[in-house]
Amino acid sequence: MTMLLAATSAFAQAGSAQQQQQLDLTAVSLPIPPAGKLVAITNATIMTASNGTIEKGTIVIRDGKIAAVGTDVEVPAGAKIIDGTGKYVTPGIIDAHSHSAAEAINEGTLSITSMVRIEDVLRQDGISLYRQLAGGTTTLNILHGSANTIGGQNAVVKLRYGLPVDSLKFEGAPPGIKFALGENVRQTNRNLQPGQEGRFPRTRMGVEDLLRDAFTRAQEYRRDWQQYDAKKKAAKTAAERAALIPPARDLELDALVEVLEGKRLVHCHSYRADEIRMMLRVAKDFGFRVATFQHVLEGYKIADELAKAGSGASTFADEWAYKMEAWDAIPYNASLMAERGVVVTINSDSDERARRLYQEAAKAMHYGGTSEQEALKMITLNAAKQLGIDKRVGSIEVGKDADLAIFTAHPFAPNARVDMTLIDGRVFFDRATSPTLEQLIEQMKQRKPHVASEDQ
Amino acid sequence: MRPAAPLASGFLLGIALVLPRDAHSQAAAPAGTWALTNARIETVTKGKIEKGTIVIRNGIIEAVGPNVTPPGDARVVDLAGRTVYPGFIDLTSSMGIPTPTQPQGGPGGGGGGGQNAGAPARYVGLEPGRVIANEVAPSAADIRASRDAGITTALIAPSRGVFRGLSALIPMRDDSSAQYVVKAPVGMHMGFQGVAGRYPATLLGVIAYERQELYDAQRHGLLMDRYKAGDRGVPRPAYDANLDALVPVVRGQLPAFFGASNENEIRRAVDIAKEFDLKLTIVGATEAFRALDAVKAARPLVVSVEFPQPVEVTGWAYRAAQRRELNDSATRDAAVRKIVEANAATLNRAGVKFALAPGALKPNDFIANVHKAIAAGLPREAAVEALTIRAAEIAGVGDQLGSIEPGKIADLVVADGPPLGDSTRIRTVFVDGIDYDVIPSAVSRNGQRAAGGGGRGGEMAQVAGTWVMTVNGPQGAMTSTMTLTQTSDAIDGNMISEFGTAAISEGRVNGRTVTWSASFQMGGERTTVNFEADVDGSRMTGRLRAGEMGAMTFTAEKKP
Repeated sequence: MTMLLAATSAFAQAGSAQQQQQLDLTAVSLPIPPAGKLVAITNATIMTASNGTIEKGTIVIRDGKIAAVGTDVEVPAGAKIIDGTGKYVTPGIIDAHSHSAAEAINEGTLSITSMVRIEDVLRQDGISLYRQLAGGTTTLNILHGSANTIGGQNAVVKLRYGLPVDSLKFEGAPPGIKFALGENVRQTNRNLQPGQEGRFPRTRMGVEDLLRDAFTRAQEYRRDWQQYDAKKKAAKTAAERAALIPPARDLELDALVEVLEGKRLVHCHSYRADEIRMMLRVAKDFGFRVATFQHVLEGYKIADELAKAGSGASTFADEWAYKMEAWDAIPYNASLMAERGVVVTINSDSDERARRLYQEAAKAMHYGGTSEQEALKMITLNAAKQLGIDKRVGSIEVGKDADLAIFTAHPFAPNARVDMTLIDGRVFFDRATSPTLEQLIEQMKQRKPHVASEDQ
Repeated sequence: MRPAAPLASGFLLGIALVLPRDAHSQAAAPAGTWALTNARIETVTKGKIEKGTIVIRNGIIEAVGPNVTPPGDARVVDLAGRTVYPGFIDLTSSMGIPTPTQPQGGPGGGGGGGQNAGAPARYVGLEPGRVIANEVAPSAADIRASRDAGITTALIAPSRGVFRGLSALIPMRDDSSAQYVVKAPVGMHMGFQGVAGRYPATLLGVIAYERQELYDAQRHGLLMDRYKAGDRGVPRPAYDANLDALVPVVRGQLPAFFGASNENEIRRAVDIAKEFDLKLTIVGATEAFRALDAVKAARPLVVSVEFPQPVEVTGWAYRAAQRRELNDSATRDAAVRKIVEANAATLNRAGVKFALAPGALKPNDFIANVHKAIAAGLPREAAVEALTIRAAEIAGVGDQLGSIEPGKIADLVVADGPPLGDSTRIRTVFVDGIDYDVIPSAVSRNGQRAAGGGGRGGEMAQVAGTWVMTVNGPQGAMTSTMTLTQTSDAIDGNMISEFGTAAISEGRVNGRTVTWSASFQMGGERTTVNFEADVDGSRMTGRLRAGEMGAMTFTAEKKP
């Protein structure tokens, strides 16, 4: 009971700070949650995503990192305590395919736009970000749309809602890039205006051609730079070095060279088994790995090839048939691919689904008989692996970032809701201080009935 | 010495001293020597003189002070009871820039082949080498509207585009033209608005395009230097007017005037400037109060008083997310509006130096909004400085304009009260030492234009017909067709777009401005889209607001 009071009063303080803030000139900012220096979540059911479930366990957070997890953990003096009695704690949910928080998605005027970057167009204050926090989501892989063969450079962010836009960036996350295959790229689902010229490519053959052409150009570009670097190294004097002229820098090819060198992760929008095989062949010919295939609704047909190529798969639980290439899909896709050793995630691709990814993960259990932990991984640890950030996030382990979701019930239960969401040990969503539908309805009930005469 | 002209009450200089207009409209050097005596003088840089004289010769201030003797050849004007202060400088004007004919659709895709026979296609908004001084031809009405509001000089550049061109600072004289340019180029004007139907169309492409172009300019400069230095191993670089214009920009010799209004735009502009070591001037900065850390390091700043709508303000959505009460949007909007109007006051308190500018506001609305900024806590003196000496410094002409000092250009305002005073009325404006009368009713404190008060208020746009509209959407350009009918100031009709056909409602024409609404089925929701456009003959430029999708810009062309 005292613990509960402690927690409540801490939030009450946060509330009054917010009220004060509203009088301030910076009132269009949110009060910044205090740093999670020392926090303890006690007596909770902890679903670690890597080492099973701990009943009546404690998590200690120190300086934003998980300092201790288990049943036999002492709560340090001075810790801010969050009573987890009856609650379930999971790792913060990672959405492996998001289009939130960006002011532009498709630079659809060219089919290869590897030079454009989501990080240039982030916007931090969209209400959907807050709703996603309210669904326990803490990390997003923000990708370009699928209008282009190569859409552009992604951004991996943490939902540090209320902080300036630069604070969103997941510091140290490996860079990535969005590719796309199939109908969206060849634009056969798009109605051209009268007189409007269609854009190359118009067939899947053209998509492959563009990819091969782009990577051939990237190879030549890399060779030019390598030759320049070698000459620079061989130069004997500073004057000789200064006389060298570097090749022209090309932002489009810079990003593709990083792909060739394995420094940039390819996330490839795809549906059909044949186009996925094409992409795997192209990647093999140019010597890079496709980090993930996105959507990949026919992945179950080629799960072994995906596993062999080391490519992850990020799919929907049961969303299909919205266009021809999404026709041959089954609800067992995630489970079947996971059984064959593919690192599988379930993503949102939608501001709406991103608020309830835990329900989507539950469907993998429901349809395909995936184990509870494996299903949880599909929205946490596996996504971290696909994005190369699994040393930092994705499971509840000592040393990892304290990115956590606290649920009122088992996250796969239909009545589960998120009570609190923490990032780096800081509370970024707290149902106790947030507006809820119930509160709004209650206020509505208490309002006086509208009387027309009062208007005068 | 001639006797002082007896000054009657009412309006004075104009009646007392009518000079034949053609006497100074033909000569480059303005005629006349003036002695403005017994005036209260706000010099801006050298304090206030309660009773002093200003001598003007050949368009230049020759002497200022309490004990200056009018020279023998001067026209002497007794300005007892009047205040003289430096003319205001508008750093965000785009008056008098002709609309270039757009090329017919450039090559769109990676494999598409363009066939541009004949003249090279122009891509407006992607022209760093565009020399505005060569094009600018302001209308007498535009000049007059500015001058009547106390503006004597304007920096002209297009208000939209990625690379908009090289700006020109011109005086607000009736015969203004290239020969009177005060300074050109003042800066390279840049921004974040893409080009419809062509790369870069979206913010994503715009930033990548800018970075690539600036890298290309660095290299162009390097190759040019090598070639000029006699390194004949280096082939002569191809002539490229656009890259040539950018070379001094990447070398920090020519300032980059970067249109950046909201918080994130400001940060983006600062990031690009850092990457290329540009001499950055941020233009717009309506949310500078949210990015004090960034703007402090990125002076100078041109702060527009074209205040954004509350829903557009970054962080507004936080409040929506944190909403715990019903129907509090009006209160919230009022609070946000207050914050936005206090932008300049906040900057002033933070010790940031800035100029104030109208953005796209018409001159009278500009002055009205400056008054709002003052009401929100900006000291009047700081506002006056921001409109005079700070603006002059930012335009690189601090030695020629912005204060009343010997040697500076005689751009002066004669008024019956202090600059930006609550009931100050401007009587006469000097530009390059030429006196211009101000029609008293043209300028009012509230920015309301009296009938016949100059400007474009009188004529009503005629919009009936079929229009092809291009919206700069978040995912690229969208084209739609609109058919309008007009009865007096009411318009009606329909719009056909990829979201279907919608009837136009609440259509109104007010002068050159036309507003209407239409409701579309978008993403499973019916959304009302509000349009507002400025009509210039058979062309419209405007903005629309589409619910949660936010604001977008558009252009429309009337089919002949």
